[in-house]
Amino acid sequence: MEWLNSSHLSLGLFFVGLYGVITQRNVIKTIISINIMDASAILFLITANLQPGSVPPIAGGDPARMADPVPQALMITAIVIGVSVTAMCLALFIRVAHRYGSSDWEKIVHRVDD
Amino acid sequence: MLIQYIPTLYVLVLLPVVVGAIGYFLPRRMYQGVLLVFGLVMIAISAAVFYEVRVMGEVVEQVAGWGDSISISLRADELSAPLVLMTSVLFFLFFVFNSRAPYMDNTFQYLFMTLQCALLGMFLSGDLFNVYVIMEVGMLAVSILIMYKKEKQSVYDGMMYLMINFLAMAFMLLGIGYLYRITGVLDFIGMHNKIAQINDPRALVLPYALIMTAIALKAALFPLFSWLPRAHGAPSAPSIISATLSGVQVKVGVYLLIRMQWVFSPVIDASVFFAVLGFVTAVIGFLLAVSQKDIKLILAYHTVSQVGLIVLGLNGGTDYAFWGGMYHIINHAMFKGLLFLTAGVIIDQYGTRNYSQIRGVFRRMPWIGIAGFAGVLGITGTPLFNGSISKYLIQNGLQGNLAEIGMFIVNLGTVLSFVKYSTMFFGKAPDEVKPLKDPYINGVSMLIGLGCLAGGIFGAQAVQLLYGQSYNLSGTLGAEKLIMFAITLALGIALYFGVVKRIGGFLQRIRDNKLNYNQVALLITVFFAFLTTYLYITV
Repeated sequence: MEWLNSSHLSLGLFFVGLYGVITQRNVIKTIISINIMDASAILFLITANLQPGSVPPIAGGDPARMADPVPQALMITAIVIGVSVTAMCLALFIRVAHRYGSSDWEKIVHRVDD
Repeated sequence: MLIQYIPTLYVLVLLPVVVGAIGYFLPRRMYQGVLLVFGLVMIAISAAVFYEVRVMGEVVEQVAGWGDSISISLRADELSAPLVLMTSVLFFLFFVFNSRAPYMDNTFQYLFMTLQCALLGMFLSGDLFNVYVIMEVGMLAVSILIMYKKEKQSVYDGMMYLMINFLAMAFMLLGIGYLYRITGVLDFIGMHNKIAQINDPRALVLPYALIMTAIALKAALFPLFSWLPRAHGAPSAPSIISATLSGVQVKVGVYLLIRMQWVFSPVIDASVFFAVLGFVTAVIGFLLAVSQKDIKLILAYHTVSQVGLIVLGLNGGTDYAFWGGMYHIINHAMFKGLLFLTAGVIIDQYGTRNYSQIRGVFRRMPWIGIAGFAGVLGITGTPLFNGSISKYLIQNGLQGNLAEIGMFIVNLGTVLSFVKYSTMFFGKAPDEVKPLKDPYINGVSMLIGLGCLAGGIFGAQAVQLLYGQSYNLSGTLGAEKLIMFAITLALGIALYFGVVKRIGGFLQRIRDNKLNYNQVALLITVFFAFLTTYLYITV
């Protein structure tokens, strides 16, 4: 099971999300799929260059064994951004769903220009 | 100098959003006044930075004084300083242009300032993750701004824009993750140095493809441009937003393309790929532009075409073509900004967006007509106007190979679509259309129009001033060029009246062909897969 490491796992998740974005016609499901992709990228960065047995980079621990703090700090930012963009997408989706009466991309695109 | 005592670059990035936030609670008129003065301050600071870069070279600022490639840095160099200056000047002019618009409330102005902050941040950041963060901020601001006038399909346009870009940013984040795992730094220069020491180039294929997919989408390259016309030509987007997006924001993609290509340059060189892609984008862009009826959509699709031309120049492989492409970025910002501004005014006055129902702009609104026509002359590369200089440089840089014929085709397409666009300037205007008497709108339009002319007449000096490259540009007015332009113009007019006007049904089918979100996502995936395969074969 050497090959089953976190980077392959997150890469797999990324393409699962991508598959969802391409195939799902429901707007909510595409938003979920993009979130899966985002989460997989975050997982990838958190575990990049992670040594087995390392401890969280919190004051009081042994500095020699601490995990790389940079990706962890960055990923908090990325998570916050992801949440706010998702919230914005959902807010817009409510408006679109009310106006066009559908949550299907294919139906919406035909109703838009009439 | 002043720059040594205060962190000018931080001020430049943060000040718009700080001033915007503090002044937000002032009454509208006062807020507008504050921001107008502030726009001048921004121009002054940008000019100081630009001067500093020209005279002393790169300006770098590190947070908290940590060393290179550890701390988060801001960096102004010869590539970004002219773009920063351009952004500040255009934002100020657009702001003045819009002073009397009814939708200029506090929220709009605040979001406009946020957009300026985001654009400056992207140009000045020396750190890839910061670029990612600022891109997301800019994306949120833009998606609200393009639906600001709340017209019928605005929410859909905003949602498409936001979700397509959100998807692309997920690609970018994973690419950053890969790059961080390989290099351990996020600073552009740090990454460049680490990449130079890598033995296995194939390890870099995946991060390169992931990041470039996101950037190609931001730069609206073929086949990832379908979000651009929706956003830039959206009926609900105020004209200054369309002008900002087409003039400045899309250049962020082009700028990052250059930056990231440089970062990867020791190992991966895909400039041939991007040169071909640029050419294809340029051709598809003008074909779609010609088939549109909506004047804002003609301009929006034409932005796609011009970005393709810029990318072709930047990847042309010679200094001439590269600096021609760089100069074309500035020129395109000027004339496309001007064209969007005047188009917005024309749409408001005529109450229609259909080019065939608009006639007689020259008679009804002479100032807007003249300024808009100067924009048309600029974009078609008419001798004496700025477009001719940059196109001449690109063409010279590509001399002696197939790309030169490509340039001719792109030029012909530009002329063709602007023959269509220009028909609205002539003829007799309907009586119900009122002349426009807004000194701000007329003044700013004329000023940018004159800028287009000045950029052409003093072309060599402008290139020298902006980029420190001296070229002999007397050839732009040579007999050969003039004859070539006349042939292109005649051919363009003949093609328009002979062919384009007769295939209305076919063009209607092109216009009806709208992509839904899943198809856009599929195109992004196909682009990513193609780029990855191409790199595996060539690297």
